Amino acid sequence: MKKNNLGLLLILAGAVLACIGLYLIHAQEDAQGILRVLPFVCIGAGCGIFGHGVGDMANRWAMRKHPELERQMQIEKDDERNIAISNRAKAKAYDGMLFVLAALMVSFALMGADMAVVLLLVFAYLFIVGEFIYYLNKYQKEM
Amino acid sequence: MKNRLEELRKDRGINQEELAAALGVSRQTIGSLENGRYNPSILLAFKIARYFGRSIEEIFVYGEEGK
Repeated sequence: MKKNNLGLLLILAGAVLACIGLYLIHAQEDAQGILRVLPFVCIGAGCGIFGHGVGDMANRWAMRKHPELERQMQIEKDDERNIAISNRAKAKAYDGMLFVLAALMVSFALMGADMAVVLLLVFAYLFIVGEFIYYLNKYQKEM
Repeated sequence: MKNRLEELRKDRGINQEELAAALGVSRQTIGSLENGRYNPSILLAFKIARYFGRSIEEIFVYGEEGK
């Protein structure tokens, strides 16, 4: 019941956000700076959340009629081999992402891009590495 | 690591789907276990052993070359 409510909540939140975006477009005809983009961000995020909620509800509705299929999907989701494969793929993707981010930082710096852009990339890179170290320590204490 | 899973399953007269359903894993996992491509967690190894009424050592054979 609670999960159904979450889907409904997402639909409502998405619709409200998209409506706010539409309202802002009409209300601020000569908006400047961030306010010019904000309505479109609201519409985009609202539509995304709305779609996620509808998908969630449709999935639950379909599963309610086919409990056997739901059980099978739950088994596939909890299957230890599937989890191991997923974790290994994520680890590979993480290694690749660090390489790509590093290459991007160097490229942007060499291209003479704006310092703010390069610094944003550096902070994103450091944040990801910091998160990695945090979880490494956490799991070392737990296991 | 080698195992006797396929042999034991066939002795019991069940297919991979039935074994997978009994153990709560996917059919692909059973296939991979039987082919020796995947080594189970200790929990799954215990589940399998309990299902067949045998010890883990009777089903899974540790070998250095198979690491």
